[in-house]
Amino acid sequence: MRIGDAKQSYEADEAILTSSTQKIWFALFLFALLLFPFVADAYLLYLGCLVGIAVISTTGLNILTGFTGLISLGQAGFMGVGGYTVAWLSANTGLPFPVTLLLAGLLAAAVGILVGLPSLRVKGLYLAIATLAASVFLHFIFAEWESVTGGMGGLSLEPAHLFGLTFQSDFGMYFIIVPLAVLMVLAAKNVFRTRIGRAFIAIRDRDISAEILGINLLHYKLMSFALSSFYAGVAGGLFAYFFRVVTPESFPLSMSIFYLAAVIVGGMGNLLGGILGAAFMTLIPEALKLLTAALTPFYPNAPIFMSPMLEIIFGALIVGFLIFEPHGLAEIWHRIRRFFSLWPFKN
Amino acid sequence: MFKSILSKGRKLAGIGSIAAALVAAAPAVAQDKEPIVFGGSIPLSGVFAFAGVHLHAGLTDYTTWINSQGGINGHPVKYVMEDTGYEVDRSVAAFKKITGSNTVPVYYGDSTGFMKTIASELNSRGSTLMSGASFATALTDNEQYPNQFVPGPNYTQMFGIILEYIATQGKDGEKPTVAFVYSDTEFGKDPIENGKAKAAEMGIEVVEEIVTKPGSVDVSAEVLKMRRARPDFVVFHGYVLSPINEFMVQMRQMGLDTQFMGTFWSSDKLIINKMGEDADGYMGVMPYNYYDSAEGGPMLDALRATAEKSDPDAGYRPTGYMQGWFNAMVWTEVIKRTMDAGKELTAENMAESLASIKNWDTGGIIGIPVTAHDMSFPVGRIWRVNAKEGRYEPVSDWIHLD
Repeated sequence: MRIGDAKQSYEADEAILTSSTQKIWFALFLFALLLFPFVADAYLLYLGCLVGIAVISTTGLNILTGFTGLISLGQAGFMGVGGYTVAWLSANTGLPFPVTLLLAGLLAAAVGILVGLPSLRVKGLYLAIATLAASVFLHFIFAEWESVTGGMGGLSLEPAHLFGLTFQSDFGMYFIIVPLAVLMVLAAKNVFRTRIGRAFIAIRDRDISAEILGINLLHYKLMSFALSSFYAGVAGGLFAYFFRVVTPESFPLSMSIFYLAAVIVGGMGNLLGGILGAAFMTLIPEALKLLTAALTPFYPNAPIFMSPMLEIIFGALIVGFLIFEPHGLAEIWHRIRRFFSLWPFKN
Repeated sequence: MFKSILSKGRKLAGIGSIAAALVAAAPAVAQDKEPIVFGGSIPLSGVFAFAGVHLHAGLTDYTTWINSQGGINGHPVKYVMEDTGYEVDRSVAAFKKITGSNTVPVYYGDSTGFMKTIASELNSRGSTLMSGASFATALTDNEQYPNQFVPGPNYTQMFGIILEYIATQGKDGEKPTVAFVYSDTEFGKDPIENGKAKAAEMGIEVVEEIVTKPGSVDVSAEVLKMRRARPDFVVFHGYVLSPINEFMVQMRQMGLDTQFMGTFWSSDKLIINKMGEDADGYMGVMPYNYYDSAEGGPMLDALRATAEKSDPDAGYRPTGYMQGWFNAMVWTEVIKRTMDAGKELTAENMAESLASIKNWDTGGIIGIPVTAHDMSFPVGRIWRVNAKEGRYEPVSDWIHLD
């Protein structure tokens, strides 16, 4: 039983994993991630990859919206920039996937900086509308710049490759997506142990006070947009490699709302929340289908009756979480952890 | 409301019992062999659910019917589907789930986006032939999509059939003029370039081209353009209803005697139900006979009888139902031909069997024998709305493109 955390050095105070219990659980979690593709069937493996992509994009949006307080409805657009960059580079240069993904992230970051410029003057709902407009503009470019994006028909991709290895199957893609997701979440965690991350949080809590403290708002707000878009760009690039086709309809506005919902449901300003939110939003619709499967033997027409109902149940679950736990799934997780950290001696 | 839910529940139970009874009544021989699975990513929820429920009903009823006929070469047929919400990632998930737990020789895809996305996996698996709700021209490209077909004419071929009809409607030796109105989606833009080329080849002038959002309501500026262009025909594509109704009403109010035409997904009764008398004269290209058409034939009669049995209160069955049924008919024919040739049910062998379909009698689903051409069935007929009767009536013969 863990009864306290006595920190005896600054290094210990700044550590991500602060106790041996945490280290053991984290190692077990990594081992489970490694083992997963060997035991999962094609369906679960596919969902695992989808969750991995969603975790990267949600973490990016969490940096911007959850930690810096800048609301964005442009995440799908930034993912689109990443997706098209990878598709174009893959078709025209034959570069290996680490390079294309990096360039996808960087180009998305550059676009993110441009889109973030209005954040210096507007915030809240006004910024949401500004980013929405950017998303519409990007969608227009995807649809109309035919010589580069392939127009409405989009672009098809060759599988991701590196050193002669091709990653065609979900099994192969899992070993790109999941390690990248882990690395990028850890990188984000590290950002918030630096001046940069603390500046983001200061801006979120009160931007005028932050400026008085010497934080350059222009610099840090744009940096937050760039970081967030970089994550989206990489997620979009992985999306392109995973599905091997990108069209303007691959990155609809509803996708931006999906990621915003994942951040809110998971817990804004909490990296664990982003992970849980991404997993929740991706997996719950699939899990709810089990209800239909259970009813079908008794009601052959259950799919017709239940399918719209599941959409309603999914919506109700989201609303329920917002009402009963506004701090999101991360807070529920923390409560569970607190319970077990004192168990069995808690009253 | 609760009463209505209860009544719906009872109705579903009734339908369930009928389906169970039909399955039980199937000849014993169909139960002895390994079942053949028809898989499907079906949009029972989401924006395409209006068609998805009927596609599903068509596929379900066909499965019931084919099992009552002894299955396919003695193999019973099992239809396994999942709802997708018309979202590509969920459609892919359904595909993985269904193909992971069953051997699935044929599969129904719910959208062009899904069918394009799954193409690389389909090609590498080589075990499943796919068709679905999409009539996209791209999917009939044999090089890129060798394992997919469209269950009728593709959108370019639909435009071809429409233009063939328009070409016959000239007066005093002059060809009529035409305008294209389409949505700014992949679906909407699909046949436009080829349609313009075909029109030019046939000497039909395209006097106006308008792009709108799907579902647009305010089209007054576009209608003014139409007044200036005065086309004899307007062909809509990429819509289900709006803005077709807006264009028709406003252009008629301006005194234009333009005739209005549409493609498969905008040629069902929705337009009659929503527009009433104003829908009169609207024309659509349809590869299948309508459920309530005066035509007959052994398969069309079987379809009507099965539909009546499975849900006696449903009445008219929309074109999605006919499409679902016809899809399954093609699968059956392809599987049967492949088995009869003593070949394995691989995608390649089934695609070959599909290509071998020539002068196939569909028993009245399509009014003339059909021939597969480049993974499609380039046949259709022009039908016109008789608003008084509340149905479509044929105004052309069946047109089979070469």
